[in-house]
Amino acid sequence: MARFIPSAPSAAALAAGALVLLACGSASAQVAGTWSVRLGATHIAPQVKSGNLSAPSFPGTTVDVHSASALTGGINYMVTDNWAIDVPVGLPFKHKFYGDGAISGVGQVGETKVIPATVFAQYRFGEANATFRPYVGLGVTYAKFFKERTTAPLNGLTGGTPANPTTASIDDKWGITPQIGFVWNINEKWFVDAAYYKSFLKTKTHLSSGQSIDIRLNPNVFAVGVGYRF
Amino acid sequence: MISRTIYNRASWSVVAAACMLAACGGGGSDTTPAARVTSVKVMGDSLADSGTFGYKFTVQGSAGTGTGSSQIWPERVATNYDQSLCAHYRFNGASFAVNAACTNYAVGGGRINNPTAATAPTSITQQIKDAGTAGYSDGDLVLIDGGGNDAADLVGAYLRISSDRGASYRALLLTLLDATTVTNAFAGGSAGLAQAGGLYMQALATQFAGTIRANTLDKGAKRVAVLNAPGITLTPRFRFVLASIAAANGAAAATQAEAVFDGWVQAFNARLGASLSGDARVTVVDFYSSFKDQAVNPAGYQLTNVTTPACPVTGRGSDGLPTYDFPTCTAAALSAATPPAGATGGADWWKSYGFADSFHPTPYGHQLIAQLVARSLAQAGWL
Repeated sequence: MARFIPSAPSAAALAAGALVLLACGSASAQVAGTWSVRLGATHIAPQVKSGNLSAPSFPGTTVDVHSASALTGGINYMVTDNWAIDVPVGLPFKHKFYGDGAISGVGQVGETKVIPATVFAQYRFGEANATFRPYVGLGVTYAKFFKERTTAPLNGLTGGTPANPTTASIDDKWGITPQIGFVWNINEKWFVDAAYYKSFLKTKTHLSSGQSIDIRLNPNVFAVGVGYRF
Repeated sequence: MISRTIYNRASWSVVAAACMLAACGGGGSDTTPAARVTSVKVMGDSLADSGTFGYKFTVQGSAGTGTGSSQIWPERVATNYDQSLCAHYRFNGASFAVNAACTNYAVGGGRINNPTAATAPTSITQQIKDAGTAGYSDGDLVLIDGGGNDAADLVGAYLRISSDRGASYRALLLTLLDATTVTNAFAGGSAGLAQAGGLYMQALATQFAGTIRANTLDKGAKRVAVLNAPGITLTPRFRFVLASIAAANGAAAATQAEAVFDGWVQAFNARLGASLSGDARVTVVDFYSSFKDQAVNPAGYQLTNVTTPACPVTGRGSDGLPTYDFPTCTAAALSAATPPAGATGGADWWKSYGFADSFHPTPYGHQLIAQLVARSLAQAGWL
């Protein structure tokens, strides 16, 4: 008797099973206790409102922070059928700072790497096995800035020299990050996750010249990834 | 197989750790300028003089020139390109010798229009010609200032009209304006006289721009920064002059005179800007506006005093104005002196002053000019 029951399903049987599941389109389980990972890309577009660089500076010396993209992913755990904990992970983003206001046109004044570490609590609408599940989330973000790097124009503008350059340090800050997105389940295991979030984030950059500048970043964030469910 | 996997993992983590420690691709400052500048050449007046007379026209450092001396604005700009400057002309007490290895042609007292010594190094026009004769290469950055002393000459001649019946004013005007224009100006009363000053300054700017074009750009210079003229009415020297006008003829007369003199400088700057515009090889640095902004908004530049010279008065000139002595006005002497009433910063009190004497900036004032020039250079894509 026992020899008629295979100890492991054959590949063909698995494929057939998957096809059956796909055809049903209703077995995409996001039930409580499900872990998933995803891989994709994230684009961060800061909506900058810059303060003025403190004295001594030209009145109205401000900066603009350009967008950055990075290879990212995430880990998601379904606590219940509707509630999830979501942690995006990824490579650091590299943002470039450009002179603006009174120093508009001077070009790049610096760059920084940033890891915006965020933990989201998400509520996913619909049934656990629905193909399309929109969600809303609220996250807490800790933006860690590192490898701040200044340029020759910034040196010239702040009295630095090649031997004693003006360097920069950006305060690491906490922020709140609301989120909307959706999960579209390709099959029981594979899915596409897309989200838009907005981080409410203010920070302060300190220069070794003793000057400082407040910058409100409030970035729009667009994340997309292809995920796999365990 | 297993050991190999472990080895690979270990090497990856070592690389990752090394990246974190060594700040892979980041941190600190990338001080490489946008343009490769291999030589900085300077022409101008006392503001840009690296020590033609053995000292600089500011508070002296531990030395008058070279190592330890106060850094003036063109030297600060040159430092951004890892270049240094030294005076091309050296005054030996009687005449000027040339040090061909040094590329700062600027000389204290330099004028664009120097009628009494048109071919001397105190003529900025002559400096520009000498530098042009030496030639330019692609790696040169040229810094030129001028016009301040010319404006001061014109104001001085104008103020002597009542005592010399206009002889010196007429003579100066005639060096750049035709006889008919000057005669008409004198026939036009006070308005005509004031207007002639504006025409003179416009002609001066046209000539200055032409000199720069013919001897700098046409000789191959690719990067030329020209400072326009500062509003000399904001210097302590001209505040003294205006105060004496106010004392003699009333405040309204002083206000009117200030407007006339400032209008002349603006006329020069407007013409200079127009004459040099539209050429990517030239950037005109708006020294006038920045200087005025510092006078109006000193706190924004961390200046505590923009009206009183930091150096002590050493005498009175023939014009009745206070005189100062730069060689003895050193950083050490000022720090050792009792700070004036109201000054802050202890022994560093003079470091936040705008003026060293009644016409020249402190080393900090020079830093602010250098930062202004750096902005223009960066905007031109050269820094």
